[in-house]
Amino acid sequence: MASMLNAGARSDNIEVHKYYSGTVIVAVFLALVFQAFLHKYGRWSELIDLPLLVTIYFGVSKRNPASGLLLGAAIGILQDALSPDNPIGLYGIAKTLVGYVASSIGGRIDTEHPLSRFGLVFLFFHFHQAIFAVTQRVLLNHSAPFFTLRLLLDSLATAAFGVALFALLDRLRRRS
Amino acid sequence: MLDTQLRQRPLLLLVGVVLAQVLLLAFQIKREHDVPLIRYWAAELVTPVGRTGTWTSSKIRGIWTGYIALHGAHTENERLRGELDQLRLRNRDLESQAGEAQRLRVLLDFREAHPEAPMLAAQVIGASADPTSHILFINRGERDHVRRNMAVITPDGIVGKVVEVFANNTAQVLLINDRESGVGVLFADTRTHGVVKGTGDPEPLMDYVSTDEKVHAGQLIVTSGEDRIFPKDLPVGVVADVKQGNMFQVIHVRPAVRLDRLEDVLILLSRQDVTLKAVQESPAEPAPQSGAPADAPKPAAATPQTQAAPSPPSTPER
Repeated sequence: MASMLNAGARSDNIEVHKYYSGTVIVAVFLALVFQAFLHKYGRWSELIDLPLLVTIYFGVSKRNPASGLLLGAAIGILQDALSPDNPIGLYGIAKTLVGYVASSIGGRIDTEHPLSRFGLVFLFFHFHQAIFAVTQRVLLNHSAPFFTLRLLLDSLATAAFGVALFALLDRLRRRS
Repeated sequence: MLDTQLRQRPLLLLVGVVLAQVLLLAFQIKREHDVPLIRYWAAELVTPVGRTGTWTSSKIRGIWTGYIALHGAHTENERLRGELDQLRLRNRDLESQAGEAQRLRVLLDFREAHPEAPMLAAQVIGASADPTSHILFINRGERDHVRRNMAVITPDGIVGKVVEVFANNTAQVLLINDRESGVGVLFADTRTHGVVKGTGDPEPLMDYVSTDEKVHAGQLIVTSGEDRIFPKDLPVGVVADVKQGNMFQVIHVRPAVRLDRLEDVLILLSRQDVTLKAVQESPAEPAPQSGAPADAPKPAAATPQTQAAPSPPSTPER
């Protein structure tokens, strides 16, 4: 019981951000919609992984590994479902792990400064890509790259866009 | 113990969720089965919003391109209309010049093809004020050595003759369909003589052809040269219609030249015989504006002159 209290006290010491109701669902939904339908407006949308950004942001903000991994799993499975070429579970596994790790480290590092956010997104992008590539190689026997120049550019673009998107999502936080 | 469980719960959940997805992947790969239900739900969830977004964006683009981006289009439209009007005028001017150049080229070709026959090009500058008379004014006169009774022709056939010459570079031409006109003619094939007389109508009549003579529509009529105005074998026209009269047949002649659309003509300065063969064989087609009808008759020179031509009863001269 004491350990439970300790655990609760420890979690109470970590700043957990709360949002207006429906914010997470709407944000996830819009990220999937934009990712799915913005392809026809140009290749720029291929540079940025919006569902990944939403997974990282809410994982880091909620700081609850369980909800983080479940949110990542849900986003990944929906992204797979909207990608007819992908078997369902490919993005799901990668984003489950991203959500889990993001929510686990959210309370331990500074996630408010734009530079740290840039670095965080950059690293998570490549972490996500690494899991994606491993899953493809091991389970699907596909040769997916771990790192390319194109992926580097994509990660930089996603990180830069993420800094702006995170600042926008910060405005939806409920003031305590 | 509980602390360990609480700490490990997310990790266990993670393992469970990842394992479930691995199994789902394995199921899809092993059985080559898709999971259509999940895709169906996802599509049902997302596509309405995507469709609405697409519709909205297309409407916004439509409003932008159809209204907002058209700011200033009215001014531009007015300017372009002005430019279009100017270009139309310019185009009409150029077309007129091109037509004139083509007509003059035909006349020039004709002149060059007949160096033996001195001739002078002239432009039609007016017509008689009397609607029943068929008289033209041309821009050549005494100073150009134009004299009365000189033949006026085009490369397609005869037009008429000069009836009055003025000192101020003007002359009057009596067309062959004027009621005062008479031209000695013969049928190109049978060499039967007659006289083409104007009636005041667009089509003159060929007279003095006996009822015994076989005449048919389309028969070519050429000058006989006996009126001492027109050289021999110049096209006059073709038979348009034949009716039997008391003594002579009533033959309507369709002139070889469009007499109502003349713009440029040639004045023959001498009675030197002229054949239209050279021009007809040249590659340059005569311009329709020069007065040639679409069914202009063949050149007279192509007709062999094997028969002795009987003299007409009379060849009227003005």
